[in-house]
Amino acid sequence: MNDFLELVVGATASGCIYGLVALSYLLVTRPTGIINFAVGEWSMVAAFGGFMLLSRWELPYPVGMLVVVAAMFGVGWATERFTVRPLVERGAPPLAPILALLGMLVVFRELVSLGFGPDPQPVPPSFGFGRLELGPLAGSYQSFFIITMAGAVFGAAWWFFERTLAGKSFEAVAIDRRAAALMGINLRLVTSLAFAASAGVAGLAGLLVAPNVSAHYLMGLPLAIQGFTALVIGGVGRVEGALLGGLILAFAEQFTVRYAPVPPGLAMGVPLVLLIVFLLIRPTGLLLPREARA
Amino acid sequence: MKKTFLRTALSLATGAVMMMAAPAAMAQTIKIGLITDKVGPAKPYAEPVTAGAVYAVKELNAKGGLLGRQVELLVEDDQGKPDVSATAARKLVDAGAAFILSVSLTPATQQAQSVTLETRTPHMTPSNSGDTLTTQISNANFWQTGPLASTQIATLLSYARNKNFKRVALVTENSALGQLTNQFFKAGLEKNGIQIVSEEVVPGGSTSADPQMQKVRASNPDALFMTGVTTPENALILRSYRQLGMKTPILANYNMSVPVYSSVAKGLLDGVAFVDAFDPAKAETQRFIEAFKKDSGNEPYNLNGYGYDGLMLVADAIKRAGSTDKDKVREAMQATRGFQGVMGGVGASYGFADGRRTGFDTNGMVVRVYEGDKQGKVVHVGVK
Repeated sequence: MNDFLELVVGATASGCIYGLVALSYLLVTRPTGIINFAVGEWSMVAAFGGFMLLSRWELPYPVGMLVVVAAMFGVGWATERFTVRPLVERGAPPLAPILALLGMLVVFRELVSLGFGPDPQPVPPSFGFGRLELGPLAGSYQSFFIITMAGAVFGAAWWFFERTLAGKSFEAVAIDRRAAALMGINLRLVTSLAFAASAGVAGLAGLLVAPNVSAHYLMGLPLAIQGFTALVIGGVGRVEGALLGGLILAFAEQFTVRYAPVPPGLAMGVPLVLLIVFLLIRPTGLLLPREARA
Repeated sequence: MKKTFLRTALSLATGAVMMMAAPAAMAQTIKIGLITDKVGPAKPYAEPVTAGAVYAVKELNAKGGLLGRQVELLVEDDQGKPDVSATAARKLVDAGAAFILSVSLTPATQQAQSVTLETRTPHMTPSNSGDTLTTQISNANFWQTGPLASTQIATLLSYARNKNFKRVALVTENSALGQLTNQFFKAGLEKNGIQIVSEEVVPGGSTSADPQMQKVRASNPDALFMTGVTTPENALILRSYRQLGMKTPILANYNMSVPVYSSVAKGLLDGVAFVDAFDPAKAETQRFIEAFKKDSGNEPYNLNGYGYDGLMLVADAIKRAGSTDKDKVREAMQATRGFQGVMGGVGASYGFADGRRTGFDTNGMVVRVYEGDKQGKVVHVGVK
């Protein structure tokens, strides 16, 4: 039973990371229709930001974290401004920005690889390495920190989209871009902010996971795949779906490895099986977008 | 006007002579090809091995080169991809490489052999450790001097003989070399009558190794053998091991000898025994450390040594062959015996006796134990 509850904490933390990456996808996909596979590389860039600020310059953790997330907002804004917007304004086909962002994936990865070298780099955890026991639940300090931070981000995102006028304008653009523009919503601003927020969230995910996996130049792609799988499971329509998808994916991964009687080499295929199953039987994901609800 | 014409004509003639002379001068060099991984998953290992080979060329040329000619290293990037590796090998053969060194992933090195087999070009990997590289393809032009996984497990078991392990666990990751290393560690353990009670895989990109390590803990093994070769996953395994309060002794493959662990797995390493091919106390190794440091300003470590030894082995074969004729170089390389390099314990040497094409001394590996986050001194040598 101890193992089970310990794993619940670990899987929840992993699920929160996947959920944050899924949210990063969703923030761009909903208002623009663009799938940005470079979100994993944004996480990687932020992880290296964490290495510089927290390991090398030893800034206090909250300061370092705020600086990295703020810088990631800038990276997201610049990505949209210089990569996506020129294509959209020239009337490029919808696939063009997706391919351009795939190109940016390589650019980010190679820049980091050239700048920092191929070796993984350490990023310290927020409260050091230690074990926290909360009643029957036990896990690392970092696991509880990840869960808390992800909870705060998802809570804020839900509040923003459900309770604020600005959030409603995002939702309006997601539902019908042309109608939203006719209503006076600034599409450029919404798109820029969507990219900035998406990079900020992806950056936070990278910063939170880096103490466990280290900052390394190949860390982005697995996160992008896990986040995308979580998005497909939860659905692209709602913020809660990203978190739900992330949690389902992480629990399926980790509980299969721990308890299912499958050879260790095959257990790693479970997330992909899950992805295929959801695409076949529930392509919209578990949670439907607002406009499709009765 | 006449003067200007003459000056122009003279300049053109000089330029033409220089252009004709340049290829002739280039042809004077002995070309050695090196296939490395500059952007793919092998990059963390391929870069320092390549740096060691580059330094060896510099040292050779400073001492007058080889057969009275300068050595030219032609470097190609295969991105760790087998198909690109074969293309790179073809390009190097076309460029006139007398010998090719492969410093990439095991599958990529395997694929490059398809070209060296066909073109009868001498080819060697100085760092790959997969046991199957010289057995899957019957290529008389290919040699391997990286320490085999079978030698690594034999050395670790020799070190742990008095500990009398009966039941052990294996933890690896899912890279091709990680799987291959695991396969040969498993075979070595089973050959010694040791039961594998748990065998786990932490896939690349995992965010936690807790489920795998919980299973290991539940199986209550006498020891845990780490056979993975990717640093992030190995660090993840060590983190879960400490987090779950495990005390099982850890014995790790040679990947744990890479110094980067001291920073990415800080606080997690104390007591971990690992097999290495580098003894900093050995005289040849100390000379290399000093010379490399003087040249680059950086202290070298074991991966630099693999590249250095690889290139020096090639140079030795070409020197004994007395030419760059491929057949003669092949015969000379196969005849290598007792070549002492910077890698291996005291007294270890490279050689390809009895038609073997794996040249690392089976008694040449050492075992070291982490003391805190620092790699401790050699505590065991060889398999005896």
